[in-house]
Amino acid sequence: MTYDRRCLLSAAYTDTKLWEEREKDHQNLSLMAALMDRIYDRNFPVSSLTISRFVDNISSREEVDQAEYYLYKFRHSPNCWYLRDWTVHSWVRQCLRYGARDKALHTLKNKVQYGMFPDDFTFNLLIDSFIKNEDFKGACSVVEEVMLQESFNLLTTQILSMYALSSYLATKPELSVSEQRTLGAALLICGLKQDNSTGLSAQLLGCALLGKVEMAAGIHAVFRGMPLMWTPGYLGRALAIMERVAATPGDSKLSKDAVDYLEGLLQDLSSALDSKSSSGEDELGGEEEGKKEEDEDDQAEREKLPLYASRFKELSGQLQSGGKVDPSPLQVLVSSLVQQGLASAEGPDMEQYQRKVGEWEAERQQLIRREKEMRERAEEERQARQAAKAAAQ
Amino acid sequence: MVKKKRIRLIAEMARKIRAYRELKNRPRESEKYALDYDTMTRPHTRKTLPVLAWQDVRRESRLFSLLSGLRMFGVGHLFTRKSWLTEHPEAPSYWQVTKVKVDYTAENMDHGRAWGVLTYKGKQESEPKEMDKVMYHDWRLVPKHEEEQFKLYNPVPEPPIRYVSYPPLLRAMLLAQRQKDELGSAAEEPTLPLKRDVLLSKEYFRSQEKKRERQEGTAV
Repeated sequence: MTYDRRCLLSAAYTDTKLWEEREKDHQNLSLMAALMDRIYDRNFPVSSLTISRFVDNISSREEVDQAEYYLYKFRHSPNCWYLRDWTVHSWVRQCLRYGARDKALHTLKNKVQYGMFPDDFTFNLLIDSFIKNEDFKGACSVVEEVMLQESFNLLTTQILSMYALSSYLATKPELSVSEQRTLGAALLICGLKQDNSTGLSAQLLGCALLGKVEMAAGIHAVFRGMPLMWTPGYLGRALAIMERVAATPGDSKLSKDAVDYLEGLLQDLSSALDSKSSSGEDELGGEEEGKKEEDEDDQAEREKLPLYASRFKELSGQLQSGGKVDPSPLQVLVSSLVQQGLASAEGPDMEQYQRKVGEWEAERQQLIRREKEMRERAEEERQARQAAKAAAQ
Repeated sequence: MVKKKRIRLIAEMARKIRAYRELKNRPRESEKYALDYDTMTRPHTRKTLPVLAWQDVRRESRLFSLLSGLRMFGVGHLFTRKSWLTEHPEAPSYWQVTKVKVDYTAENMDHGRAWGVLTYKGKQESEPKEMDKVMYHDWRLVPKHEEEQFKLYNPVPEPPIRYVSYPPLLRAMLLAQRQKDELGSAAEEPTLPLKRDVLLSKEYFRSQEKKRERQEGTAV
């Protein structure tokens, strides 16, 4: 399957020609750095035009690090709201050009400190470059950021992120609790946007992962910092998805490994609960203090576990009899989706990108014009003041 | 008569300088609302938070902790408070953010002021107001895929206002007044509504102040 592993997005999509065609604004980086330092020393705000010029004129890897520092300083200045979209886009492009992909990932992960909020097209470029280099873990981190912004609006983003997530899960990694949480949330939110079997299987797997975290650490650990609902019962939601698929007469199926994962999970949890209750009789004193901190909701969840297990058995029986279980793994489903949908979805994306680049250019020219006017006006005032002083003497 | 007051120019200048310095060095939101999570005290005032809030402070997050991780500081998103969720779970109450002024001196852009449109117990207000209790560890983001379901609300129709007759002496006084004013006794019996129409509320006084300011303009 090398043909689809090499590149998902077509060459036209990732082409830098349109971006390079913009009007260049050549400035000396060291001069601009000195200017910005002076402005920050005097406690004045730096304009968004200055920082965008700086990022546009990066020409080597070291300058990428310098630009990162100035992005940090800009974010912590009164003008942090005005960081432009095109600055973020050109920063990501420059990072990818000079091979600083991990730098881009670092700024994206600390988006609070750097103010890095890329738009959908930029996210697509970034995920694609990670997938091209088979760095599925990095691709999953980018998908996690997309999930936190809830920006799965474009079909291309959805397809790319599903591909990244399924490829990462196919490598069967050891997942820590936080990783399970982020993967589950990303699968759930991405799957909600798609109405086909891939989406439904992703939703099921996501709910299963989140249910596992919920059982282990409580509902608060699940939704803290994530755009997820706070009502407890994620395993119940997974079972509701299965029920819905079994009931609807359409073509949608659930992938087998998602159903198997849920089955294995329920068995693990029930056995763990049984062993805990059998060993709990020995150490009642120590456990009571721990139990007081547990929420009543979490305890109610645990009590529902045998109920979930029995309901799962009947639902999986219904799915099997209805022929709704797709034996192919999730990755194969996603690859078929890629082949069918990606090429057609790229077209409108690229048109929108062209339009956006045009708008950004217009805004940038307007900012440059405004800056020139203000400088001229300040010059005139200064000369008028000097003339007045000379006349007064 | 009264001795003529001496005009102290230097004291006036000193007062202005002190006011300017206070304005320049005023404590930012990040300093005022910083919290030490181990001892649950605020370093700015050295006051401890109430004990019942400690669990919430550990588990939930402030509004700006959520806003700092969102595009455009979460303008347009809906935010609820956990205390509202526990108080009246059936009637949705949420803020929709319209404007954000973040405190840029904070390390994680964690503090600031925000404005938005409140919907309390299903009733949406018309004007954006400044959000209060922004620094409380109480806020939750409503995910976009749950927004529609969250906003669903069938308001229970309020029962009609009941009226009660006045106490007998007051009633007699009112009827006597009416007779004097020559309304005649054909008018209906005076009744007291059981729902209090709060005329002298905080909003009323604020609007009066604004009206007075508009009429007077600036102080001469």
